[in-house]
Order: sequence, then C-alpha cells, then structure tokens
Amino acid sequence: MRKRLAISALILTTSLFAQRGGRGPAPRTPKDSALYDITGYWVAVVTEDWRYRIVTPKKGDTGGVTLNQAGRKIADAWDPAKDEQAGEQCRSYGAAAIMNAPTRLHITWQDDETLKIEADNGQQTRLLHFGSAESGAGEWQGYSKALWEIVPAGRGEKPIGSLKVITTKMKPGYLRKNGIPYSVSAALTEYLDRVNEPDGNAYLVVTSTVEDPVYLAQPFQSASHFRKEPDGAHWKVRPCVTRW
Amino acid sequence: MVNAMKRSWIIGGSAASLLALGSFLAFGQGLDFSGHTGLPAGVDISGSWYPLPFQDSGLITASGALAEYGGIPLNEAGRLYALAWHPSRIQGRQHQCMGYVPPYTYNQPGNLRFWEERDPYTQRLVAIKQYWQISEGTRTIWMDGRPHPPAYAQHTWAGFATGQYDGNALTVYTTHLKRGWIRANGLAQSDEATLVEHFIRHGDRITYFSVVKDPVYLEEPFSRTYTLGRSIKEPDAWQYDCDDGEQIIGRPEDQVESYFWGRHPFVREFATNNQIPFLATLGGPVTMYPELLDKVSDSAAADRAAAAELAPSAGPAHASRASDPTPTDGEIHVLPIQGNLSFLAGDGGNIAVQVGDEGPMLVNSGAGKISDKVIAAIRKLSDKPIQFIVNTGFQADFTGGNVKLRAAGSDPSVLGSFFSGQFVDAGKGATIIGQQNVQNHLMALKSPSQGWPSDTFVQARRRKYHNGEAVEIFHMPNAVTDADSIVHFRRSDVIATGDIFSTVSYPHIDVKNGGSIQGEIAALNFILDRTVYKHDEEDGTMIVPGHGRICDEWEVAEYRDMLVIIRDRVQDLIKSGATREKVLASRVTADYDDRFGATSGPWTTDMFVEAVYNTLHDPPARGSAK
Repeated sequence: MRKRLAISALILTTSLFAQRGGRGPAPRTPKDSALYDITGYWVAVVTEDWRYRIVTPKKGDTGGVTLNQAGRKIADAWDPAKDEQAGEQCRSYGAAAIMNAPTRLHITWQDDETLKIEADNGQQTRLLHFGSAESGAGEWQGYSKALWEIVPAGRGEKPIGSLKVITTKMKPGYLRKNGIPYSVSAALTEYLDRVNEPDGNAYLVVTSTVEDPVYLAQPFQSASHFRKEPDGAHWKVRPCVTRW
Repeated sequence: MVNAMKRSWIIGGSAASLLALGSFLAFGQGLDFSGHTGLPAGVDISGSWYPLPFQDSGLITASGALAEYGGIPLNEAGRLYALAWHPSRIQGRQHQCMGYVPPYTYNQPGNLRFWEERDPYTQRLVAIKQYWQISEGTRTIWMDGRPHPPAYAQHTWAGFATGQYDGNALTVYTTHLKRGWIRANGLAQSDEATLVEHFIRHGDRITYFSVVKDPVYLEEPFSRTYTLGRSIKEPDAWQYDCDDGEQIIGRPEDQVESYFWGRHPFVREFATNNQIPFLATLGGPVTMYPELLDKVSDSAAADRAAAAELAPSAGPAHASRASDPTPTDGEIHVLPIQGNLSFLAGDGGNIAVQVGDEGPMLVNSGAGKISDKVIAAIRKLSDKPIQFIVNTGFQADFTGGNVKLRAAGSDPSVLGSFFSGQFVDAGKGATIIGQQNVQNHLMALKSPSQGWPSDTFVQARRRKYHNGEAVEIFHMPNAVTDADSIVHFRRSDVIATGDIFSTVSYPHIDVKNGGSIQGEIAALNFILDRTVYKHDEEDGTMIVPGHGRICDEWEVAEYRDMLVIIRDRVQDLIKSGATREKVLASRVTADYDDRFGATSGPWTTDMFVEAVYNTLHDPPARGSAK
C-alpha cells in the first residue's frame, strides 16, 4: 500500500513539473543543467584495443568487428594510397572513429545548446546539438544530437545520468585505420561519462555503439577513455594521414 | 545506501514508475524520446552479464602474445618480469589453477553474475556480490561502510572491496589483492596494487572502467575499460573446475623456466607478425598516449631504444616500493588465522599462537621489545599459561622474547616428572623447543640462558600432540641458517615458516651460519609439498611468514619461483666465468627489487645476491637439504 502511494505521489510530482513550463522561470539550458562538467582538455589513454587504435593494423585484420560480406570486401581492398589520391585522408577520423584515435580533445560549450569537441589529431570538430538545429549532414562528423539522460533520484537528491549522443548522416569512413568501413547509413550512439578518482584525476569514459546495416553484421560496441589535462600545453595539431 | 534503495525501487519495473521516469526525462530535456530503446542509465547492476567480444577480442581468452605489452604503463621491473616470463610456468603445479584478479577478471570468456545482499530485517544494502565463472571466483563489495582490514591480513584474488554509489556509477575501492595478471603473458599485477573501479550501466550494457595503481610494476596508473552485456536468458553455465596435476612427469620441483634477458627467442614475434614498431610493443607510459606516434616515427632510433629495454638498465639496485605491513605503533596486533591459530604482529618477527584446552603453544617469541604486551595479548586468547614456545631459528627477531615469555608460562607436562629432579626450574616456565643448532647459536651468542631451548631435537621431524591437534616441527637444513625449522599445525592447517619465508624481503641467507640458496629453495618446496589449497590457489593451508603478512601457498610458490629464477641467473653467470663483482653489477634481481629489494639496512639486495653467489660457487658441505 505504501509503495502504491509513493508511486502516485511520484506521478503527481512529475506531472506538476511538466506543466510548470510557461508560468515559472525560464527552462534551464542544457549548459546550465549539465549533470557534470566535461569541458577542458583531455588526452586519449589508449589501453584497450591498443593494436587497432594507436598503430596501423594490418590489412584485413578486423578483429572484434563483425563485418558482413560487403564490409569484408571493402576492408580487404583497403588501399591507403588510393585514399590519398582521392584526398580522403580523413576517412579514419570521422565521428565513428575519432573518439578511438590517439588524440587530445578540447571540449567547450559553443553556446548554451551546443557542445564543441575539437580533436588535435586530424583537426576534427564535432558539434553536439542539444537543440533541434540540423546541420553537418554528409561531413566526417555527421550530425550529433545530444541529451542529458537523467535517472530520477530520490527527493532532494542531485539528479544523476549520462550525456547521450546519437550521430547520424556521417560521410562514409573507416572504423579503424586499416579500412574497416562504415556507411552513410551508420548510426553512432555514445555515452560520455565523467568519473573522478580519489587522486584528483578525472576521466571521460566514452561508451559507443556503431550500427551499420550496410557493412556490419552486428553492432560494434566498444569503449574508450580520456584523462583530464590541466591545460592545452600538449595540444599538437596533426593533419589527417592514412597510416600512423 | 538509502539512495541506492530508492533508485532500485524507482527503477524497479512497474508501469507507473516507467511512466514517471518518462515524465522526468521529458521535463529535463524538452526532447521527444520516442524511438529510444533500452533502459535508462542507472546504477543497479544486478543480473547475469558476459564480456562483450568486440573490444580486445584477441585478448579475451586470457593471454595475448608474448611481448605484447603496448598500452601498459610498465616500469622497468614490470617489463623485465614479463620479458623473463616463460609460458611453461603455467604448467607448474601452483600455477595451473591460479585465480583471476580484478580488473583482469572482467575480460574472462565466461559468465558473470552480480546480486545484492540486503539485511533481511532492515533491507539495507550490505554488499554487492559478484561471481565469475572462470576460476569460479566470488567477490564481495561491501556497501555498509566497513573499513578495510589491516595490512598484515591475507590477500585474495578478489581482494577486499568497498563500494559506494557515485553519480551514475557504482564506484569500488579494492585492496588486499594477490599477485595476479594484467595479462597472462607475463604482465604481472603485484600484491601491492590497489584498484578503483566504476561500473556504469547503460541499459543492457555495463561500461566497466578501472584504474590500477601498482607501485611495483607500473610507472603510472593503468586505466582501462571493459564492456559487459546483460544476459537476458539465465546462462546456466557457471562452473569451471580446476585441479592441478603433473603436466611434465619428472620435472624437478626446483625447476622454474624463465628467459634470461636478451635471450627471449620470441620477443619480436608479435611486433613482426603485426607490423608494429618493436619499441611500441614493449609497453611503458608513452605507449598509451598520442606521443607514441612521435616516438616511433624514427624507426632506427626506436629500434635502438627498444634494444636498451630488453635488459636491466645500468645503475644501482632499486629499493622496494612495497609497504611493510608490520605494525610499528608499539602495540601488538592480533589476527585470528583459522582453527586454533592466531597471528601476533608488532614485536619484530611474527608470532603464531595456538590455543586450546592446554596452555598456548607459540611459534617464536618476537624481538622482545614489548614482550609484556605480547603476554597481555596472549592472555586475551587463553587464560592458561604459555606452555610451549617453538623457535624456528635463533635470530633475535624470533627469540628476543624467549626469556620473558618463558617466565610468563609453565609446562605442567614436566612439572613433577623425573625432570624435576634434574632441573630445579623444570616446569616453572614454558618449555622452549628448538632444533639443536638454535641452542648452539644462542649459547655462542652468549644470550641469557633462560631463553635457550631446553627441549632440543636433531631429527628431521619433531612431533607433538597439543591442544587437540598434531603439531609437526621439521628441520630445514641449510636454508637461511643451519638451525631453521617450520611448524605445521595439522588440524588447524597452519604452517609457521620462520625466516625461510618473508613477504617483505629476500631471504636473509646467512652463509656464515650455514644458510644456502639450495637449502632455502628446498625448504620452500618442502612447505609446498605440505600445503593444500581450498580453491584455485586460495585458502586451505595458511602460512605465517617470519616477517610480513598472512598468506596461503600462492605467495610461497611465487617466492620459490623467484628464488629459483635468481639462482639460475647467478648460476648461468658463474658458468660463463663472471666474477662476484660482475654478478652484482648484472642486476639479476631487477624484476623483483621493486617488491623485495633493499639498498640500505641490515639485509640489502647486494648482500642477498652475494649470498646466492657464494653458496653456488662454494656449495655447503654438510646438512644436505631435504
């Protein structure tokens, strides 16, 4: 009985919240309502999938990525020289790959509704849109829609949750340096979580899933992480290259 | 804890709560969430899970290739340990059923089960339990705020873990881990490692993020992720039995294969097969960061740098980076071991105390600096006077308390016997038992006669039945001295090793007094012949070392392996004509110094290596080891 009353109270509370919009103070912006701060400089700590991320894997080495036949065919035909000739050295720097690259990130709020992630390696910029403006279609970084996914906490408690990002409309690129493909139909779902260590270090943990009906037989699910740096002293711009 | 309960309840699954959740989310973002699938982010991790096979797919079945160390922030000791590691080590008896330590355990190719344990009356969260199929390990993450045990307590595969909810993650702090693997290709995680972990749940997936700090083998914290998927269907596959046996018939117990640095035949294989710069495969902090791209851009320079990393750098030996668990607060600390046995730490060498219907039997008496406190601590364990003190050696750290502890006891077994006619004080104090050489050495040292063993033996095995159990005292010839014994309490299944085994230093091999590396290794193998683990190299026969913390056979096996490997290196150098000075300069202990080494104090690494050299160069003439 007590539980039923509690649930009713919860529904009532949330409904009231939902209706309050036009009468109270202006809704808080995504920047104001951030669950945690991920701005600043971050360096990739490449300790997982190391031989696929920080060195160029051998042609045809697709370990861990479940390609379908079409995907396998493209991976087996990978020709970095051809990409260079076509001016497509940035194929492995698209949104589905850049957070796995050995890179530094500089994350800032571009405005109240847009997070900007710059990567020094490959000089890429991602824009995570909390609003509804559509842009970026067909570029390496595609279009990223972001939201703070909140888990309701107890009364009086600070809300908890994650930054969720869904990226679509990416220009076809490579999941890895050695030509493992993703198509324009690929969708990238990411969670960007910040964890704080007792020693004062902070890490950005990126959980990602790439789904691609064209080249992948199964979603490619992985995670990577970045450690917070005090400033941009180690920022080093590197151009896109086809091989590390 | 209360928060956790609330969260669990809210996410608990009723349609009403899901409706409420949707309202919250919609309010929070003003976005349409239709089309989003899966559960929202949360912290309740209960259920059955398995490692997703996409990330590090080539490493999931355990090992990785030899010399595949890229992305691991190894220090020199960690790299050298791995370079010396020979894959046949896993065929050694004590290595066949080695357990898994976190975080490595979350990369196992088996099922994982997580569940909550709540107080049945208050429903408050007491612990989160985890079970992993491979190695059949169980882990308890205490959520009730209890403190971690003292440093001298046992280490286990799962370690001692406490947790708390932290934002959208379950954060876990772990200490007391056994020496395990970062990767089972020789990349060791030492027993000094501590661990912080975050379990971050996103729907049917957990992103597991861990940071290992290991002062022994790592140059800087080792952070990494694993990803786990939720099993919707109960997997019903939870067992993975292991029982060790002879895999190489006739292999001597003192044979532990290792690669001598610079002679590893497969050290370049992984790099060559995968077209990776060799330097990058050797690990170290730089291999984790974008700077690696610059480091390997000049291939000739990178190859030169790699060549320098295959052997110890020039320079003095390193001192241990491990912490000594021995209390130094001037108090005696008591820890129950199992059965009738307790462990007393705080007065020099460790003291084991057996209690029961008869008077306490002690193994060793400590340094004698705070004997009154030792006596007071024993009185809390037993109201009977101390009856026996067994000395495992004559060193002052073990016999310093003999006089006072003997005086505090009595031995009714000789009181009123025919001994009474021969010794005025027969039975008036505790009886001190020791191998004859203990008495000989104490007499030679002119220590007070009241502290000499009165019950000496010369046979290989002295036996007694006391406090309801068989007690065996075995002489270990020419181990650290010519007077060493170990004591095995058979029903309690506890072995006190005296100075033959230590968790804080290399063995103090006193060549002048009959010690030898050959006898030391033989003594450790003798101990290992008597131990039985309960499950996967854990528990079962418990070990009280002369110095350091409570152990089981795993630590003894590791210590034995280390000494065999060091012996073989010194022997190899002697065979090649190396002088004592050359052997000392070769840093043959470079992979172990960060754990056991000393550059100052009464027993330095150089003194230990010299003792090994001396006894290999001029083996002891008498008292052949068992």
